Amino acid sequence: MVQTATARARGPLVWMNMDQKELDDAYDQMVYAPNRDQVHKRNVFNSERVRQRLGAPKRLGYGPVPIEALDLFTTSKLNAPINVFIHGGAWRQREANDYAFLAEMFVNAGAHFIALDFVGVENTKGDLLPMADQVRRAVAWVYKNAKSFGGDPERIYVSSQSSGAHLAGNVVTTDWSKYGVPANVVKGALLCSGMYDLKPVRLSKRSEYVAFTDQVEEELSSIRHLDRLNCPVIVAYGTYETPEFQRQNREFADAVKKAGKSATLLVGEGYNHFEMTEMIGNPLSLIGSAVLEQMKLK
Amino acid sequence: MDQQALDDAYDQEVYAPNRAVVVGRRHVASERARARIGNPKRVAYGPTKIEALDIFDCGIRNAPINIFVHGGAWRRNKAADYALNAELLIRAGAHSVILDFINVDEAGGDLFPMYDQVRRGIAWVARNAESFGGDRNRIFLSAHSSGSHLAGCVLTRGWREESLPPDIVKGAVLLSGMYDLKPVRLSKRSSYVSFTDRMEELLSAQRHLDGLNAPLVLAIGTAETPEFQRQSRDFAAAVQAAGKPVELIVGEGYNHFELLETLANPYGITGRAMLTQMKLTKFE
Repeated sequence: MVQTATARARGPLVWMNMDQKELDDAYDQMVYAPNRDQVHKRNVFNSERVRQRLGAPKRLGYGPVPIEALDLFTTSKLNAPINVFIHGGAWRQREANDYAFLAEMFVNAGAHFIALDFVGVENTKGDLLPMADQVRRAVAWVYKNAKSFGGDPERIYVSSQSSGAHLAGNVVTTDWSKYGVPANVVKGALLCSGMYDLKPVRLSKRSEYVAFTDQVEEELSSIRHLDRLNCPVIVAYGTYETPEFQRQNREFADAVKKAGKSATLLVGEGYNHFEMTEMIGNPLSLIGSAVLEQMKLK
Repeated sequence: MDQQALDDAYDQEVYAPNRAVVVGRRHVASERARARIGNPKRVAYGPTKIEALDIFDCGIRNAPINIFVHGGAWRRNKAADYALNAELLIRAGAHSVILDFINVDEAGGDLFPMYDQVRRGIAWVARNAESFGGDRNRIFLSAHSSGSHLAGCVLTRGWREESLPPDIVKGAVLLSGMYDLKPVRLSKRSSYVSFTDRMEELLSAQRHLDGLNAPLVLAIGTAETPEFQRQSRDFAAAVQAAGKPVELIVGEGYNHFELLETLANPYGITGRAMLTQMKLTKFE
């Protein structure tokens, strides 16, 4: 549980008004969302139900190594929009298979749903750059191959949660000329409970397993690259998330607006970090309805 | 179970410490649903003020009807807290009716006035369906917790007391209910419910399965109390043994309150079951 600094000897402040313990807690979801494993069980359970109803997804490679692959759930319409989901898990857990439960809303609304797999940070010696490169290459692959599965390359959207929203923040602020696709390849994105400035994350105990460098911090802090943002973003957090996850999302939405670009901030009253994800797949929920509206599927 | 274990098994907060948070979410979602679909029509089904129901009209003539009976340990909550359940139904092409009724504290610990009101509310819908564009031949129930207890009683004996056709209800999705009051009576819920032998006997739906004519879907979550899981499992087994249609669905990782949230989601485990039972195909 959250232990307030007044209940113990407070250390020197390391970030804003937080000492080391408070900052570490603010980047440790279990402190604020003790039902993490229970919600994960639901995700696995509901994903299995959706695969039973929709059938197993197509597994397609977007790069040369086995993990560079994606799960594709197709809709019956031709030339349909595409939603590409980037999962979270503190950069080191979870896989596309756990998120099939989000597919049904998109498929039934007339969109293809893709869940990306990509390397975990513990298999990159703590380096986040290969992860960002993979999800960027995956989006470029979807653009170049959309027509092969009945997708419309001009209607690619991204959805994401947690560390996946960090990576999605990188995706929507990519210099796409390096990937051979148009600068406006992504038409809209949901960034749910993400991180957009890596400085405080670097100062937290996440440094134990992420090998932050000045280059990683600078290149992968999407809030510092808003000049490259070319699509409207929906940014969301829950009121039971950690103070830092709430702040990161509020400040990102503010910064996008200050840059004169389109951001919608959604606040899930009473939701923690993991419960927020469940709302993405419900077309009547705060988040699901906003995503469908962004994709013009209402 | 010893007394403490039994008391805990009828105390949701022991197993669902986030009760207040989930209830808060439901209130926010209901407010949001009303902003999206409009306020319901409020109609009285009985003489006292609480005997009224909320009708969310799907705008289709002769559409099926779903009547929701809320829970709250017989002592809490009101229809307005459940508007979130209406949006799914009206978007799928059904009218949504949400009942208000007295609570057990106001009824002096007696469950009969609650049962009487819920029964009369459902009977009102059966007799007045055409007045709001509903099809009286396609009335379904959904309910949660103590609401499922009350709905179970109407399904097994209430229709007869109201002289309604035996098959007036075409199906019901009952979440996390109680169908045998004996263990409830032995628990600390006796501190606010004045159980009697007559109440236990007449209001234990499991003892009146001869009157059950509606196909049932019973739902529980694996994070519910042992007794709430057992009650639905045993009720399902009893209905099946009586040769009547019943399906038990088990939500992995859901507690008592979280399970109800799945009813307002067309892809949630209970919302999907309700749409399927009502043959509503909008979200398929």
